[in-house]
Amino acid sequence: MPSLSLIEQSVITGLLTGGLYGLLALGLSMSWGLLRLVNLGHFAIALLGAYLTWFMGTQLGIPPWWAGLIIVAAFFIYGIALHWVFMRFAVTEMASMLITFALAVIIEATLQFIWTADFRRYETAWGSQSWVVGSLYFPKLNLIAFLVAALLAGGTWAWLRYTYVGRAMRACAEDAPIATAFGINHRRLSFMFSGLCAAYAGVAGVFIALVATLAPSQIWAWVGVVFAVVIIGRLGNPIGALAGGILIGVCEALTMAVVNPSWASLVSFSVLIALLLFRPRWV
Amino acid sequence: MSAVRLPVKLGLGLLAAILIAVPATNVPAYYVAFLYLVFFWIAMATSWNILSGFAGYWSFGHAAFFGTGVYTSATLATKFGVPFLLTLPIAALLAAALGAAVGFVVFRIQRLRGELFALMTISVTFVVATIISNTPIDGGSGVYLISVALPEIFGSQNATIYLLGLFMAAAALALAYWVYHSRMGRGLFAIHDDEDVAEVKGVPTFRYKLAAFALSSGIAGAVGGVYSIYVSYVTVGETFEITVIMYPVVMSIFGGSRHWLGPALGAVIVTIALYGFAAGPQAILVRGGVAFGLIVIVLLLPTGVMPSLQRCWARLFPSLAPGRALPEPRAAEPRVPHAASVTALAPLLECRDVWKGFGGVQALKGVTLDVRQGEILGLVGPNGSGKSTLINVITGHFKLDDGAVVFDGTPIGALPAHRIAQLGIARSYQIPRPFNHLTVLDNVALAAVFGGGSSEAAARREASYWLGYTGLGGRAFHLPEQINLHERKFLELARALAARPRILLLDEVLSGLNNTEIDEAMKLILDIRARGTTIIFVEHLMRAVNKLSDRVAVLNGGALIALGTPDETMNDQEVVKVYLGKAHAV
Amino acid sequence: MLFEARNLCVGYGGAPAISDVSLDVGEGEIVSVIGPNGAGKSTLINAIAGLLDWQEGTIHLAGIDLKSVPPHLVCAQGIALVPEGRRLFPGMSVEENLDIGCYRPEARSRRAESLERAYTLFPVLRERRGQLAGTLSGGQQQMVAIARALMAQPRLLLLDEPSLGLAPAIVADMFRVIRVIQEEGVAILLVEQNVGQAMEIADRAYVLEEGKIVASGLPQVLLAQSRIREAYLGL
Repeated sequence: MPSLSLIEQSVITGLLTGGLYGLLALGLSMSWGLLRLVNLGHFAIALLGAYLTWFMGTQLGIPPWWAGLIIVAAFFIYGIALHWVFMRFAVTEMASMLITFALAVIIEATLQFIWTADFRRYETAWGSQSWVVGSLYFPKLNLIAFLVAALLAGGTWAWLRYTYVGRAMRACAEDAPIATAFGINHRRLSFMFSGLCAAYAGVAGVFIALVATLAPSQIWAWVGVVFAVVIIGRLGNPIGALAGGILIGVCEALTMAVVNPSWASLVSFSVLIALLLFRPRWV
Repeated sequence: MSAVRLPVKLGLGLLAAILIAVPATNVPAYYVAFLYLVFFWIAMATSWNILSGFAGYWSFGHAAFFGTGVYTSATLATKFGVPFLLTLPIAALLAAALGAAVGFVVFRIQRLRGELFALMTISVTFVVATIISNTPIDGGSGVYLISVALPEIFGSQNATIYLLGLFMAAAALALAYWVYHSRMGRGLFAIHDDEDVAEVKGVPTFRYKLAAFALSSGIAGAVGGVYSIYVSYVTVGETFEITVIMYPVVMSIFGGSRHWLGPALGAVIVTIALYGFAAGPQAILVRGGVAFGLIVIVLLLPTGVMPSLQRCWARLFPSLAPGRALPEPRAAEPRVPHAASVTALAPLLECRDVWKGFGGVQALKGVTLDVRQGEILGLVGPNGSGKSTLINVITGHFKLDDGAVVFDGTPIGALPAHRIAQLGIARSYQIPRPFNHLTVLDNVALAAVFGGGSSEAAARREASYWLGYTGLGGRAFHLPEQINLHERKFLELARALAARPRILLLDEVLSGLNNTEIDEAMKLILDIRARGTTIIFVEHLMRAVNKLSDRVAVLNGGALIALGTPDETMNDQEVVKVYLGKAHAV
Repeated sequence: MLFEARNLCVGYGGAPAISDVSLDVGEGEIVSVIGPNGAGKSTLINAIAGLLDWQEGTIHLAGIDLKSVPPHLVCAQGIALVPEGRRLFPGMSVEENLDIGCYRPEARSRRAESLERAYTLFPVLRERRGQLAGTLSGGQQQMVAIARALMAQPRLLLLDEPSLGLAPAIVADMFRVIRVIQEEGVAILLVEQNVGQAMEIADRAYVLEEGKIVASGLPQVLLAQSRIREAYLGL
């Protein structure tokens, strides 16, 4: 049985990792919940953002915060363009899954072609530093990622709750024709929202670059985790995405500490399977 | 027919002979290996398509069954010394068992269709991969099959592997061909278009999906077994790679997932594209290119290449194309000779105190009514009174919360809908729900096969008869989207009649028709009853209800408020109050 | 005339659901359209509200031709819909539903005033302002649906079968409120299956049967004829 301090540290690590999961899940949860499109390319885009951050940081000398701004703006446009294609071809939910799956493969192939399958690490000054509280370590960048995730989740929740546009988005997701009858321009809103979800992926990508090791195959490693998080947190619920991320993160970390690191990925997929079987209404 | 088939059979035989002979010739090993890969992907794509293409349940987890086969053969051959060829059927069986187990759990849950089924299958794949990776089966180090013995055909092990691959491809194609032309295949295609309607028409949806999934998985498992010795060193990473998940999907969609040969076509084209060009870094780009091709296909040519090919083939070889002549209709004998009068026998159908609720709303509150043999019972009531729910409960689409439904003495409340259909209850839908990819004739023939118990051969003649009866003879080979609303409503009727039901439930069959069409329909309904079918019909058009019904049942708010002759019920104070308000109830 | 529809034809492929329908609603009038199920009442309302395309005919509101107005701008012209079956946003609270009602810019600036008016008309909603709309009873949902439409500050209110699925006592209350709304100057086009209440409240009425107007005029006159009884009971 591992020591108490190891377990405590695992919880902290899991919590912070969970924040990153939540950040990644946020965009997927929003687009699946409110646009009814399953975007399997979400992770790929995030990883692309991560590679771009790393590239700009190590090759072009652009610090991550600036790189992030550029990436977010570019991805916003990408999101709008993607949604335009979906609308133009009247794509069904299933077809959107196939298309975004193909996009993920294209992006993976591109990443591997340009930067090879070698592992990449973005070394920064803060990358190896941690804040220490008692005997617990809080890696700086992970903590910042967690805080940004919390901020974005909270901000999105507030936006959906308290602004006219946010509420209009929710109304469209529940009953688009009636929302239209009350003056909501469903089309324009959905374009903007698609861009927003892609921008979220960009933000997640920046932090993935800062915190994790990059390899093109990482795309598929995150699939199970993030889908589990999205479904646990309920589609379209930003706070839920964060909470789900934390839950999975902590469970994985504890599994790694108590059982064996290689079983960790089983956690999220098992949770996903259990949810699909016993709570299909949540989706 | 066999005279026409002969050139095709000869051609196939020649092709088979050539392919089998390849390893015995001087063809370079590179090309032999390439052919093996073609066979490999033909088998993988074709097997994937049996469930996913035919029934529309897109699986993103073919790798799970492939991997099961790979590691079954690898483990049995290396750790237990089982002769390699013997491991193959075991691999197939284990993979099929896994597929059946997953299907058994998943297919019961109605919401797990479409994207959720895809998610589920991805998850199963990753779980299987993780378990294999973390246990002694692989343990992370991979499994070496270099020293596994294999009989040598044409003097080399490579030839044996090649022939095994060819055998797998041929077997997969044969099985796909068989399913496609079988009764089960018909059922799978119906499930693809509208699973709920298929079930209500008598297709045993659960059983068929399970069988298709097990068959598909079993083939993948066998292919995996052969693959293990082909690579001779298996790792979890390579076995459960994204390409194994993605390529069968791409190849099938590209080639045409609604045809048994489509995936093979797609496999040949994509494999040539993938491996025919350079290896190395370019290979990765080609993978991206294949993915891009998938996007183009999904957006622009969703049915794949096969349909265009079929059209070309039909133009080049018109004598080989399926006949467009309407089968000779068989005269339909009336069920009971002229049962024109309503007899006082025991009721044919009884609803006893039926309750059904959804969430907090009670749609049916203790409805008790009986339907007598040979009568026409009108079922009326305001919107939301529970008429459609009652029909759905009787046909088995909804399970009742409490009470009983008894058909000819047999309680049917707990039976699955397809059993109820086979017992002799059929319905038409208010908003027509035809199987959109089947012709008008096939729509009706399907109901004759699954609801009426006809043989495949007799079904087409049966269908042809009912199309003539409802005036749709000239539309037999059209697709439902090509006929107008009035014709689609009559298609609903023909489809229900083809099952030779004892009770016919008509749901607002007259709505959307003009006056002439309404009169035609009313005459038809009376004739149907004269031939011995009992009819329950939901209708808002009061003049029709009054004219046709022997008795009328009035529902309001889920409860039965009147049951009697049209005259009695339409003058019943309760009924008048419900429809016209207090002012009129005098 | 505030609202004019002329020779309206709406179809779904096959026989048209309504054909050659003409009707008027004047300022501050309550006009009822009654008819049995399947007559085309909802089709009529949905076409006017912009939810359905219509093939032939014209619709004018205060002189403006609605044919070329895109669906999301119909509300801005001054029409608000209380849909059949309420169709609230079930995952949103009562007050959030009301806020969607005043989404259009002109209505937004008068939100506080509209909200107060809604809560005065339906005091029950004030207590339940934070409750999820999907958890309300049928009668309460109907109140929210009507209040939501009022938030848009409409000139013409469209009511599609408001009494559907409601108990008689609640229906009576609701029609009392509709009368109050009329007194505040809103014109109302009411489509109903329930003849009694619809005729009692109407200034004028139309009878729709199998997609066509078969009678129109003053409610008392129509009630005295047997036309309505024929249409509904087939006798």
